[in-house]
Amino acid sequence: MQCDSSVASLQVISPSFVQQHACEERFTQPGREEFTGAGLLLLIVLVLLQGSVLPLGATSSPDTTHNVDNRQVKEEKYNYTKKAFPVLTLDYHHIQAPFEISLWILLASLMKLGEYHVNVTHALVPPDTSSVRHCARELPVDHRGSSRGGAHQTSWRRSPPVLDSRLFFLCLLPPIILDAGYFLPIRPFMENLGTILMFAVVGTLWNAFFIGGLLYAVCQIQPANPSILHKIELLPCLLFGSIISAVDPVAVLAVFEEIHINELLHILVFGESLLNDAVTVVLYHLFEEYSGAGTVTVLDCFLGIISFLVVAIGGVLVGVIYGLLAAFTSRFTSHVRVIEPLFVFVYAYMAYLSAEVFHLSGIMALIACGATMRPYVEANISHKSHTTVKYFLKMWSSVSETLIFIFLGVATVDGPHHWNWTFVTVTVLLCGWLTYVINKFRIVKLTTKDQFIIAYGGLRGAIAFSLGFLLDKKLFPMRDMFLTAIITVVFFTVFVQGMTIQPLVELLAVKKKQEAKRTINEEIHTQFLDHLLTGIEDICGHYGHHHWKDKLNRFNKKYVKKCLIAGERSKEPQLIAFYHKMEFKQAIEMPKKPPPAKPAEKAEKAPSQLPKGREEEIRKILRSNLQRTRLRLRSYNRHTLVADPFEDGFGDLLIKKQKMIELEKKIKDMNNYLTVPAAPPDSPTMCRARLSSDPQSYRAKPESDSVPTIQVDLASPQSPDSVNVMDEFRRAGQQRGGGRGEEDQGLMMRPHKTGEGADGKDPQKLTRCLSDPGPSADEEEDQPFLP
Amino acid sequence: MAMNPIGDRIISAFFRPGMETVDFPSFVRVLANFRPTETNRARDYSRNRKLRFAFQLYDQDRDGKISREELLQVLRSMLGTQVTEEQLQSIAERAIQEADLDQDDAISFDEFKKSLEKVNIEQKMSICSLR
Repeated sequence: MQCDSSVASLQVISPSFVQQHACEERFTQPGREEFTGAGLLLLIVLVLLQGSVLPLGATSSPDTTHNVDNRQVKEEKYNYTKKAFPVLTLDYHHIQAPFEISLWILLASLMKLGEYHVNVTHALVPPDTSSVRHCARELPVDHRGSSRGGAHQTSWRRSPPVLDSRLFFLCLLPPIILDAGYFLPIRPFMENLGTILMFAVVGTLWNAFFIGGLLYAVCQIQPANPSILHKIELLPCLLFGSIISAVDPVAVLAVFEEIHINELLHILVFGESLLNDAVTVVLYHLFEEYSGAGTVTVLDCFLGIISFLVVAIGGVLVGVIYGLLAAFTSRFTSHVRVIEPLFVFVYAYMAYLSAEVFHLSGIMALIACGATMRPYVEANISHKSHTTVKYFLKMWSSVSETLIFIFLGVATVDGPHHWNWTFVTVTVLLCGWLTYVINKFRIVKLTTKDQFIIAYGGLRGAIAFSLGFLLDKKLFPMRDMFLTAIITVVFFTVFVQGMTIQPLVELLAVKKKQEAKRTINEEIHTQFLDHLLTGIEDICGHYGHHHWKDKLNRFNKKYVKKCLIAGERSKEPQLIAFYHKMEFKQAIEMPKKPPPAKPAEKAEKAPSQLPKGREEEIRKILRSNLQRTRLRLRSYNRHTLVADPFEDGFGDLLIKKQKMIELEKKIKDMNNYLTVPAAPPDSPTMCRARLSSDPQSYRAKPESDSVPTIQVDLASPQSPDSVNVMDEFRRAGQQRGGGRGEEDQGLMMRPHKTGEGADGKDPQKLTRCLSDPGPSADEEEDQPFLP
Repeated sequence: MAMNPIGDRIISAFFRPGMETVDFPSFVRVLANFRPTETNRARDYSRNRKLRFAFQLYDQDRDGKISREELLQVLRSMLGTQVTEEQLQSIAERAIQEADLDQDDAISFDEFKKSLEKVNIEQKMSICSLR
């Protein structure tokens, strides 16, 4: 089949003409072939090839001639007079498609860079809007008409430059949604789920019908000059209403990221934008189907409602299934860590595509998949993979977003437009205002200010445009007018609302996001309160959402975690996991601290000459370093954590820390604290620095007799030490360390190798060394150590 | 309720110290702590009351402070036998360090309030059917 041959011949110079035809075939029958992970890349290339602009002037006419030329050249080869061997040739068509794709992405990224630098001075414009402005200004408008027949002469098919709807829905949208879904803060989301659902479902429905109906009414009451508006029927109006009423997650994300609004409002608007996709899908298909027929019966409405439930729940179910699959797979990846991120991405993308096959809500599937797999996958994969996943998601979503807005700008400048004042103004005015009704149902009321911000934050974006684009021109003669109106609304909301929301937030003094990290106190008390509330609900006999949440947690702990999380980590309670994460983060920041310790030790060599102020400073530095190290190291108790040869070193340091507690007490009491030897605050950091395999940066200090210093030799994970308890640890460590395998030893032995993907800085090296806990096959202690 | 780690504390919170029975007014009084806040004006007062109730659950000996031992007890009951004593110690240590501003090695009510200032107590500690 021609598709297959074109697939195979992608590496070979193939005339783009043939390929484009093959692509057209492929995409008119989307359900036919299954897109595998390898096909994804191909997809991107082929789609872009089909719809790509040729701004660099190389038109398609050489394509056919090129084809002919080839054949001619082959025929003439035999009576070819020998010329000088061409040292330098120009062959653009060979790399045309990937080149253009890369150029677009590069352009998008450069624009983002430029905007940042511009924004530093201007600080007014949200980045996405300036990208739209830039592209509207800069790109050469090379409109050669969108003719359908004889299409191989022009580079434009039925689509405007570059924003092919399929490209948008299949390639540009998923990264953004996956990024949002994976990092969705589950707790606030679940707590506000009622409100969010209400906004998303009821709000969107109401908006759609209201806008559609009102538009129809407005169009009808133009008695003075009978314009084309009269020809619009109710159903197309309703369809338009459904397209335009959906708040767009892309735009919301882009704008709300900048304004740092408080978490509650953020999650409300954002959650609404994500969940209204189901409503939009159903309404869109419903009205599109029946616009041909012209009437909608009650049965159709009923079916529509059922369809909505199917779409929404089905989408979520598909996502959850794929999420669980991904979690299950990640359980076994302890030995092949490099491909862990790939599982996350591919499973999520498959969830999206599978949902789209059945016309279910792909966005909800993606969100459900990301949110489901996250807790289990993060417990299973290594720290490096986690970082990779995070950064790849952020990178892809950022580039996607910029590209979307660029294309939107291009489409604005270029697409077929049909302006109609009444239509457009009424649409713009009607968008977004329904929060008053919903407020009645909330436990904690939203203030008027909050309501206003929620209404104001209802941005429309590229999804609306693409949906409008997918409309068939035959059934909807008003399509161009719709498109114009959609673009206007999108621009209005993104530009005007997007730009002014930041000053508005400050003006209304809406609560801003608390930047600080979550403390362990909060975690403890929140869990405590959860238990408390569950208990109270039990007493009342009222099965509120705490009760169900508690049940779900128990179920999770008992069955699900055992299946999906590998090894020891499955038994780790949430609080401990949180605590470890915090300590780990702090440990990573620790190596940045050593420089302050150094002047401290130097200062202590000359105790009597220091002024009081300096003493205070040193005291503070000492204390903060001591506290941190003590807490950091104590958490890694060998009995409950998974084995890591490096951790044996920390077992030794555990004893050390106890000594340092005593030392700290001494510091507090002692007047002449400066006689405390400098070695204690130094050696843990030193050891850590040593573990991070940089022997030249620190030298061993001479020991004092109160504190044993540890010299961690790079060649072996265990540290020779004189304390008896240490020997025990060491022996146990040897058993475990030996079984662990040479690969981890290798990790230590090659300190300067950056092949692991880390950059060369010290903190990163530390991360690299400590980073790979992973379940160990020969972990021997299963039960916690009881004193 | 039997499986609830702090179940016994909750139940004992209904009983006034020294009394063995609870009558209906006191029962209602305790439950009234969990009413959702209606207006914005009453918000601070209600938040205070809720926090004080929670504080009392921690502070069993009612000395006005959560000592390290009390915190350890709570942690032990919540985390059960899944963690070692040392881990519990370090968590408690860390928690006290973060919250303890006047360095007296215990958490007073104000420090407790301060450490929870970012948490939406009004929403967390409300049962909507208790209006």
